[in-house]
Order: sequence, then C-alpha cells, then structure tokens
Amino acid sequence: MKKERLHKSPHYINPYLGGVLLGLLVVLTVYITGRGLGASGAVKSAVVTTADVISPAVAKENPYYNRFISDDHSPMYNWLVFESLGIFFGGLLSGIIFGRVKKFSVEHSPKVTSKTRLIVALLGGMLFGIGSQFGRGCTSGAALSGSATFSLGGVIVMLLIFGTGYAIAWMFKKLWI
Amino acid sequence: MKEELFVSGRDIPNIDPYLHIWHWQIPLYLYLGGLAAGILFFAAYYVIKGKEKQMQTTVKWAAIIAPIALVLGLGALFWDLKHKLFFWQLYTTIRFTSPMSWGAWTLMLITPMSIVWVASYMKEMIPGWDWKWNILNRFEAWVIKYRVPFAWVMMVLSVILGVYTGILLSAFNARPLWNSSILGPLFLTSGLSTGLATIIWMSKDNHERKVLTRIDLVLIIVELFLIIHLFMGFLAGSAVKTEAASLFLGGEFTVTFWVFVVLLGLLFPIVLEAFELRGYHVPKWLPPFLILFGGLVLRFVMVEAGQITRFLY
Repeated sequence: MKKERLHKSPHYINPYLGGVLLGLLVVLTVYITGRGLGASGAVKSAVVTTADVISPAVAKENPYYNRFISDDHSPMYNWLVFESLGIFFGGLLSGIIFGRVKKFSVEHSPKVTSKTRLIVALLGGMLFGIGSQFGRGCTSGAALSGSATFSLGGVIVMLLIFGTGYAIAWMFKKLWI
Repeated sequence: MKEELFVSGRDIPNIDPYLHIWHWQIPLYLYLGGLAAGILFFAAYYVIKGKEKQMQTTVKWAAIIAPIALVLGLGALFWDLKHKLFFWQLYTTIRFTSPMSWGAWTLMLITPMSIVWVASYMKEMIPGWDWKWNILNRFEAWVIKYRVPFAWVMMVLSVILGVYTGILLSAFNARPLWNSSILGPLFLTSGLSTGLATIIWMSKDNHERKVLTRIDLVLIIVELFLIIHLFMGFLAGSAVKTEAASLFLGGEFTVTFWVFVVLLGLLFPIVLEAFELRGYHVPKWLPPFLILFGGLVLRFVMVEAGQITRFLY
C-alpha cells in the first residue's frame, strides 16, 4: 500500500531538489514567456486595481500607481497575476496529491496564539511588500530571476534579503518557535 | 409606449453594428435557469429510478435551491424588460418556432412544479410540519400518490428549460457567435453540471457524493467536447464565423474564457474530482465552487461577446 501512504501522511520534496527544480523553472519561464518569474508584482497589481476602483482620482494623481494604470485594460491584466493564480492552484494540487491538504488551520508555535501568529505574519508581509518595491523586486522577481541573468542588483537583493533575515532572526524567533 | 421607427437596417443605435441591450440580468438568468434545470433533472431522475432513500440531498434538500434560483432568475429577466407591464402578452400565444415562447411556457409550468415538489417533501424534511388547511394536505397527498408521473413531467420540462437557455441565444441569426446549434446542448450540459455541483456541495452522504461526482465528471468531459466542437464549427465556417471565434482565439475574451471557464471551471475540477474519487483528501467545497464559478463566467462571456459579433459588410 505504498500509494495509500503517499497521500495519507504529509509528504515534502527534498529542499535541494526543490531548489534545482525552481532554477529549471526559471529557464523554462524565460524560454516560454521571454521574461522571468515574479510574485510581488501580482500583489502590486491588486493594490493598484483596488486604489483605482475605490478612488480613481487619487490613483491617477499618485505617480507610482499611475504608471500601471491604462485605459486599455485593467492593471490585473498582467501575466504575474495569472502566474500567481497558477501558483495557488498548482500548490493546492501538489498539497492534495501529497497529503498536505487537511482541515483549515493556522500553524503556529504552541508558545504563541493564532492571533499573534496572524498579526505578526501580516506585519512581516507588509514590510516585505514595501521592501520589495524599494528593492525593485522580491525573492522571485529580483533574487531568483535577476541573479539568473547575472544581474548584480539581483545578487545584492538576494544577499540582503537572506542576510538580513539570518542576522535578525534570533530577535524575533520567539514569535515563531 | 414610445414607438421607434427604423427606416434602415444599418446603424441602429444599440442594435447595429453591435448589440448593446443585454446587461448582467440576461446571463445571470441563463445561469440560474440552467442551474435549476440541473437540480430538478436529477431530483426527478432519482425519484423515477426509485432511489429516493439513497439520494436524500438530491431529491429533497438541494431541490429547495431550484425554485429560489428560478424566482431570482425570472426577477432578473423581468428587470431587464423595457415594457414590464406587457410581459403577460407572451402568454397570449404559443409559437413552436420561437424559443422565447417555449421558454415562457416551460417556466410557467416548471416554476410552480418546483415549488410543489419542495412542498411535498416538507413533512419529511421538517418533522411536525403541518399545512394547516385541509385542502393543502389533500393536495399534498395527491402529489405524493402521483410522484413518479409528476417527476417524469418535471424531468422532461427541465431538459427543455436547459436547452432553451442556450437556443434562446442561437436563434439570433444576426449574431454569428450565438448562431450555432451547439449552444443548446452546451448550455444544457453546463446547467446539469452546475446543478450537480450544487447538490454535491450540499450533500453530506459519501455514497451520494461519489455517485454524483462520477456523473459530473462525464458531464464536464462532454462539455469540453462541445466547446471544442463549437470552435471547430466556427473555424470551418464563413469569414463571419471565424471573425466571431477570433474573439476567443487571441481576441479580448481569450483570457477570460480559456483561463476562467475552461482551465479553472472545467479542467481543474476534473482533476480534483478524479483525485477525490481515488480517495485523496480534497476540500469538499472546492470542485463545486469552481464549476459554479466557471458556469457563471461562461454565461457572461457568451452573452457579452455574442453581442459584439456581427455580420461583415
């Protein structure tokens, strides 16, 4: 009953193999679409669209938002939005096949509450989002796709993201473990 | 009533070259009509097969959705009418060549029938339910006695309703995207599939879910075939037809149609349902949700895109 075990207990891929596959994915993406992967761009599109729907005047005046607004189509009409949609559904499928999809729950350390975990995760996500826009890309767009093209900026972003994370992790570790 | 006189068939505001008269009400109605048709079809089918006991949700609980969907859909349809007080004139004639006449009469029959269907199960669903008046109790007893013939009539009417939501569009010979006989079976299949999705979502009985999921898989595959045939027909047709199809093959509806209808509304649910049948843990609401969402987008895209397809001159 090997198959039975496969989808009854959670199953994760070897992280080193995962990394290699991720690298090959970048090659494939560049081959198919002519550009690299990204993730923060989809969030940016969602933010711009929301601003444009709620207050079109403010969105038009804001020089940063305005760059992504056009009369031809919605800011959501961007391949990164669809890529992110694909990541969500692809991840879900992988989770189903390898038994990681269970009842909906918030995973956190027994030392913190679900509420703390969610608030801190939201704050962290917001900081990462703001930072990614200053750094002109996140771990996917700048670090992964950027360094794959030998972009110095991409390498610096990668070193700074993971370096800073490593350096200050112990200060916040109580929030996670 | 304000009369409008047209002295030419060209350049008519909101009609030529582009139709601009149907908004959200029509696709919503086509969707709800198809959904109700699907639910009523399977409720009637399992009563005829004598499997009421094994398919409780299909026959009783999900059937409650059908009259609600029909009433909401008809409300949307009524909202869309320009001269609302004249709607009764549909019922002064029977025209076999007019899909709208077929639809009007079918709805006239199936809407009250769906309400009676649900009412006849109220005592089973809610213990202690009483109709208060003797005449209602006697009517209920009569319906229960003739339940199988009643189910037969309802099943046939539900198929007509499902097909009608499609051929209502295909009867427009001036709109190339709609003017295809595939639309009737396509909308029927999609209606049956969305109806099944609703039942699967509501059912807590594993056996029932399994049976219905198997049928749903077949229906989705049939729907995919019909979509392929629809486009094969367009591409093998005249310039008018290929022009209409190009809206979906590189034109402005390409992403909406292929990503949200075909990929997320049909292909992904097939994969999820197949895994579910093989015993994998799939969130129970997800495949039905995607199917229902895909069906809704299909109606909106077809109505929206159809209105801007036209004869070339």
